[in-house]
Amino acid sequence: MKSLPADYFSVFGISPQLALDLPELQRQFYVLSKQHHPDRFARASTEQQRYALDFTSLLNDAWRVFRDPVARAEYLLKLKGYDTPDGRSNDGRASSVPTELLEEVFELNMALEEARDGDSNAKHQVAEALKHFTALRESLDRERDQIFAAYDSSKQEFHLDALRSLLHRRRYIDNLVRDAQQALS
Amino acid sequence: MAYSDKVLDHYNHPRNVGSMDKSDSAVGTGMVGAPECGDVMKLQIKVNPLTGIIDDAKFKTFGCGSAIASSSLATEWLKGKTVDEALTIKNTDIVNELALPPVKIHCSVLAEDAIKAAISDYKIKQGADVAALAQAH
Repeated sequence: MKSLPADYFSVFGISPQLALDLPELQRQFYVLSKQHHPDRFARASTEQQRYALDFTSLLNDAWRVFRDPVARAEYLLKLKGYDTPDGRSNDGRASSVPTELLEEVFELNMALEEARDGDSNAKHQVAEALKHFTALRESLDRERDQIFAAYDSSKQEFHLDALRSLLHRRRYIDNLVRDAQQALS
Repeated sequence: MAYSDKVLDHYNHPRNVGSMDKSDSAVGTGMVGAPECGDVMKLQIKVNPLTGIIDDAKFKTFGCGSAIASSSLATEWLKGKTVDEALTIKNTDIVNELALPPVKIHCSVLAEDAIKAAISDYKIKQGADVAALAQAH
């Protein structure tokens, strides 16, 4: 029996990379979906039917992960042995986040707590912080795209270290933005 | 997931919540966080300069019940210890005391990291003080 592609990149017949041409990938996705659609194998052997089904589900997973740059980056990191889905290194230590960011996070949490207690001043503070963190997230995303390009052209591991640390900071900010939006709604 | 009675006790009646003046040279501040759950923990110690004993400890944690309980317990343990004794507190001690389940062990690691960060901040300040003193003379 034909064996399934070993990873999401092989599903699309590309080498592991971070920057992807999404419109082109989407076209590929449609082509492959059509090619391997289980309906086309209704009268094929059980083995072929099985393969079509498995391939299609792998293809759907791959497309879902690839179209989100953060999920895609996490996937590639995992593939390269950076297996830290919970953000911890192997010795169980929390990955380091810059102290200045922690202090900002702490201040925002204080403001959120006060805003929940009905302090209108704090609400204003949360709104300001939300603006700040949204802008911070945008700048991280620009930085991320630069790392994507740098890694793809050089394939040097240290870019992945930088990427991993960036994703940790981003996740923090993501949670905060969500909390702040909830507090203001 | 069920929390142990001890976790619930610390969560419902956290000890030593608050903050101290972080510019005070006798105060060491540790700020640590876990991005994956958005936890952030601030732990402070105030050291008696004559005895080297931690007179007071305060914390403020934004996070889950286990993170709050771990830091609350840590401040209780810190009081009355010397700085060097405080460094021997291990996250596993916190795990055992609070009966934390495996998925919450990272909360105890965070508390241990916070203790170490606070002590390191205090030591740096003391070193800086000595340097400033030497400079003045």
